[in-house]
Amino acid sequence: MSAICEYQAKDYKSDLKPIWCPGCGDYSVVQGIYRALAAIGRPPHEIAFISGIGCSSRIPGYTTAYGFNTVHGRALPIAQGIKLANPDLLVLAAGGDGDGFSIGGGHIAHLIRRNIDITYIVMDNQIYGLTKGQLSPTSQKGRITVTSQHGSLEEPVNPLLYTLAYGAGFVAQASPTDLASMASIIEEAIRYPGFAFVNIQSPCVTYGEEAQQIKGLKAISENLSTLGHNPADRLAAMDLAQQYGRKLHLGVFYRNPEPAPTYDGLIRERQAALSKGAIPRERILDLFIKK
Amino acid sequence: MTTRGIDFKALSLKDALDLAVLIEQEAKDRYEEFAAQMDQHRTPEAAKFFRFMALNEAKHGEELAARRATLFGAAPVAVTPAMIFDIEAPDYDAARAFMSPRKAMEAALASEVKAHAFFMAALPSIQDQGVKLLFQELSGEEVQHQDLVKAELAKLPPDSGLSDEDFVDEPAAQ
Amino acid sequence: MRKDLVFGMAGSGGDGIVSAGDSLLQAASAEGYHGVMTKSFGSQIRGGESSCRVRISTEPIPNPGGNLDVAVALNWEDFLKFGAELPVSGNTVVIYEAATGIAENQIPLVGVTPLQVIAVPIAAMAKETAGTERAKNTVVLGLIAGWFGIGGQAVMVGIKKKLAKKGEELVAANQRAFDAGVAFAKEHPLKSDMTVMPSGNKGAVKLLTDGNDMAAAAALFAGCQFFGGYPITPSTEIMQFFTNHVWKYGGAVLQAEDEIAGIGAAVGASFAGKKAMTATSGPGLSLKSEMMGLASIAELPLVIVDVQRGGPSTGLPTKTEQSDLFAAAFSAHGDVIRPVLAPTSVADTFRVVVEAFNIAERYQTPVIVLSDQEISQRKETMDPIDTTQFKIEERLRPTAADLQDYKRFRITENGISPISHPGMPGGAYLAAGIEHNETGAPTNSGSVHQRMNDKRTRKFDPLLNRQDLFEITGNPDAPLALVAWGSVAGVCREALQMAQAEGLNVKLMVPYLLYPVAEATYNRFFASVQKGLVVEQSHLAQTFKVLRMHLDLPKGLKSLARSGANPFLPGEIVEALHHLLAELQRSHEGKLQPQE
Repeated sequence: MSAICEYQAKDYKSDLKPIWCPGCGDYSVVQGIYRALAAIGRPPHEIAFISGIGCSSRIPGYTTAYGFNTVHGRALPIAQGIKLANPDLLVLAAGGDGDGFSIGGGHIAHLIRRNIDITYIVMDNQIYGLTKGQLSPTSQKGRITVTSQHGSLEEPVNPLLYTLAYGAGFVAQASPTDLASMASIIEEAIRYPGFAFVNIQSPCVTYGEEAQQIKGLKAISENLSTLGHNPADRLAAMDLAQQYGRKLHLGVFYRNPEPAPTYDGLIRERQAALSKGAIPRERILDLFIKK
Repeated sequence: MTTRGIDFKALSLKDALDLAVLIEQEAKDRYEEFAAQMDQHRTPEAAKFFRFMALNEAKHGEELAARRATLFGAAPVAVTPAMIFDIEAPDYDAARAFMSPRKAMEAALASEVKAHAFFMAALPSIQDQGVKLLFQELSGEEVQHQDLVKAELAKLPPDSGLSDEDFVDEPAAQ
Repeated sequence: MRKDLVFGMAGSGGDGIVSAGDSLLQAASAEGYHGVMTKSFGSQIRGGESSCRVRISTEPIPNPGGNLDVAVALNWEDFLKFGAELPVSGNTVVIYEAATGIAENQIPLVGVTPLQVIAVPIAAMAKETAGTERAKNTVVLGLIAGWFGIGGQAVMVGIKKKLAKKGEELVAANQRAFDAGVAFAKEHPLKSDMTVMPSGNKGAVKLLTDGNDMAAAAALFAGCQFFGGYPITPSTEIMQFFTNHVWKYGGAVLQAEDEIAGIGAAVGASFAGKKAMTATSGPGLSLKSEMMGLASIAELPLVIVDVQRGGPSTGLPTKTEQSDLFAAAFSAHGDVIRPVLAPTSVADTFRVVVEAFNIAERYQTPVIVLSDQEISQRKETMDPIDTTQFKIEERLRPTAADLQDYKRFRITENGISPISHPGMPGGAYLAAGIEHNETGAPTNSGSVHQRMNDKRTRKFDPLLNRQDLFEITGNPDAPLALVAWGSVAGVCREALQMAQAEGLNVKLMVPYLLYPVAEATYNRFFASVQKGLVVEQSHLAQTFKVLRMHLDLPKGLKSLARSGANPFLPGEIVEALHHLLAELQRSHEGKLQPQE
C-alpha cells in the first residue's frame, strides 16, 4: 500500500552538509524527518522548522524548509509566534535535552497548556555535546562528566513524565534503533491536531557512554505496541513513562482520543467573529474621541 | 535489524524480490550517507571504502530489480521501506570520525554478517518454494559479500593495534 | 483670570483622588480646554499614597507643569511623600482637609509661604451631604469648580455617566457633595481671582488618552499584526489594548510565559512575515536583550517599546526615569546598531511608534521606542491627528527574479536584502543567530563576518541624515542651548519660551532619534553653542555620556542630570540658563583684559 506522494524524502534534504560527528544519532533523526515529511506531503516552503542551540539544533538547516536556528532554549517561544502569526504553516520545533529541559525548560509547559499545533522533537542524548561533554538535565544520577567529576548528585528530568503531566495530547518516544518506526512516529505527531512531543534517544558517539549507544539502547528497548499498551490510556502511559532511563519504550505513549481545540484554531475563530465590527485602521484614533 | 508487518509464511516471490530490492537500497543509502559523513569529516579512505560498498549494494539491487521486472513486470509493489530497518545497512552509530579503513571494513563486515543472519532466521517460516530458494541464494550472497570485505581487509597492512582515537585532536567546543 | 492652571492632589488610595483628577480632566476636555494629567503612586497595590497632577490650559500644553498653582492635600502625610513631584511655591493656593487638625499657619511645608492656605472640612461635608466620607473627592471637584471655574456641570455629567448603573440615589448623593463644594468656595472667595478663562473652543473634537494606549493604537495603524509580551508596570496597558483590538485586524496577541517568550514570539511572528511588537519596562528589557541580538543578526523587523521606570532592577516601578538609554542602545552583546527612538508626549507617541515600525521594516531591524512612565501613563487631550499624512512602509520582498537565485542575506549596495517568509515558494532559507553567508548557511569565517557586519551597519547610514527626527527651536545661532528628550523635552520647551521671554538668546534640540547618534546633525546644532545643558532624569547622565562618546562637545556644554521621580521645573532650567549666560559674559570680559 505504497502511498502516492508528490514529494519524496530527498525533496526535504538540503545541500548543507551536517557538522555532526560521524555515527551521531541525529543523522537518523533527520532521515526520519525527511521520511515523515514526505509521507505528509506538504511543500517544503510551507514548513517552518525552528530550533534552539546545540548539536541537534543544527537540524533545520539540513532540510529544505524555512529554518530558524535561534538562541539557546528558545525554539518553542519563537515557534509559537510563527504558528500564531500564520496558522497555515506546518511548524516543527527541535532541539536537545539541554535546550528543551534545562535553559528553555520553562516553555514547554505553556505550549502544552495552550495546545498550539506544533510538533516538538527533542534529541535526547543525556549530555552537552557542543560544549564538550558536560552534565545535562537528563544525565543519570552518578554520571561522571567534566562538570561532575565525582559523579552527578542530581536526579534527571523525565521528559516523558513531564510532558504527560503537563497535559500534552501526544507523547511518543523513538530512537535510531528503528528508523522506520521513528519516521512513522514523527509523521503521526505532525498529523496530531495539537501540541505533540517526540523524545528521541539519540546517542552521542563522542561523549555518550557505551550503554547509550545503539547496541545498548537495543538491549533495553521495547515496543509499546508489542507490550499491548493502549495509547488512549494516559495513566498507563504515565506508569510506563516512569521507566525512562531504565527501559527504552518506543512508540506512542499517549494520543488524546478526543483532541482539544488548538490555540491557533481558536484565534482564527476569534478573528472571524470580531473582524466585522472593526474601525478601519486609518481611523483607529477615533477610539480616543471624548465627546 | 527489524521488520514490521511482514508475514514470512505468506510471502510471495514477487514481494520477496521487492523486499530484497529494498534491503539493498537501504544498505546503499546508508553507505552513501556514511561516505558523505567521512568526506565532511576528512576521513577520505573510509569514505572511499563506503562508496565502494554503496556501489556493490547498488549493483546487487539492480540485478534483483531486473529479475523482478522480468518475472512480474509492472505489477504493483506491496512492500514499503517502513517495513524494514537496518537489515543489511550498518547501524547508525557504526561510523566514527577519523575511522581507519580497517574499522570501516569491520563495520561493513558486521552488517553483512547481520544480513546473512536475517535471511537464515527467516528461512524456517517460509512456505513458498521460490521464496525459499531466493532467500537461500541471498544468504549465500551475503557470505560472498563477507568474503569480498575480508579480501579488502587482507590487502591492508597488519593491524598495529593502535586506536584512531590515540592520534586525533580533541573535539572542538562550539 | 488665568490661561493655565496646575493642580496637584494627594491622598490615600481610598480617597479617590486620582479618579477625581480623571473627572476633572474629562470635564475640562469637554469644555474645550487642553489638559494633561499624570499620576504617581506609592508602592502598595491598594490603599497606599496616590497623587495626580492635572494641568489645564487654553493653549496646547508642553508638559504637566512645574510648581503647583493649586495643591490639594487630603492628608499631609501622603502629600509630603510626593516631595518634589508636587512642589508648592509662593504662588500656590493650598487646600487641605480641616480634619487633619493642623492650623492654616502651621501646615508642614518647610521654607515656603503659599499664596493662600485654606482648611476645608472636606470629610465632614462629604459625610453630611452624601452620607459617606468616600464622597470626599466629589467635594474636592465642587471646590475646584467653585474657585477656579473648571469643570462646572461638565464634571457632574461625567460622574452621572460613570455611576448611572449604580442607581439614582448614588448620583443624587454625589450631586449634593459637589454642590456643597461649590457653595463652600462661593462663601470663601480667594484673595485673588484664579478662575480660568473660557476655552473658546467648547464642543471641538478632542482626543483624550494616555501614552500606552496611544502606542498600541499607533502600532495597529502601522499594520502591526502580532504582539507578544508579559505584564510589567508601567507598560502593561499596551498589551491590554492589543487583547481588545488586534483580533479585529486579523492579528493576534500572546501573553507569554515570560519576557523572553514574549519577545521570542514576536521574533517568530516577524520571521513568519508579520509586523510584530513587544513592550516592556527596564527589568524586561534586560531579559529581552539576547533576543534583540538574534533579531539584529537574523535581520528581522521588530518594535520593542520600553517604558522606562526607576532602575536598576525593580527600582521604582511606578515612577518615571530616563535611565534605560544605555540598555536600549548597548544591551545585547556584539557589534550591532539598534535604532532607538523616543516620544515626548502622548500625541507624538503616535508618530514615533509609526516611525519605529517604518524603520524596523525598511532596515529589517529591531527598533526600541523609549517611552517613560510619565508619558505612558499620563493622559493628554490633543487635537485629532490626520493619519493620512503618515506613510506606512513594508519590508522589501523578493521579486520573481530575486527568487530565481534567492540569497536571503545578499550583500547589496545599501545593505538591505529582500526578505522572504515561510509560505513563499522559492524563498526558503535558514535564519540563524549564528553568523551566516549570503544564503544563510552558518559560517565561522572572519572575512564573511566582516562583510556581514559591514552590511548590517551600512544599512543605517540614511537614518543618520533624517533631519525630521530632530526638533530644533529657538534662534539657530544662539550661544546658549538645551538638549532634552522624552518627557523632559516638554519641560525644556516651556523653559525655552520662558527664557526667550526674558530676553535670553537660546535654542533647544529635542532628538526623537537617540541612537545611532546623528553626529552631523548635532555638530551643526552645536556650532554656535558656547554654553548649554543636556537635561535628563538619569543619575549617571547617560544621554550626556552617549553624546560625548560620539561627539566633540562644546566645552561649555554641561549636564543637568538627576535621578528619576525628581521632576525638572521649567523655572529652574531658566535659572540655570541665566547662570550660564553670566559665566559666558564673565569669560568674555576676561578675554577683553590685556594679557600683560
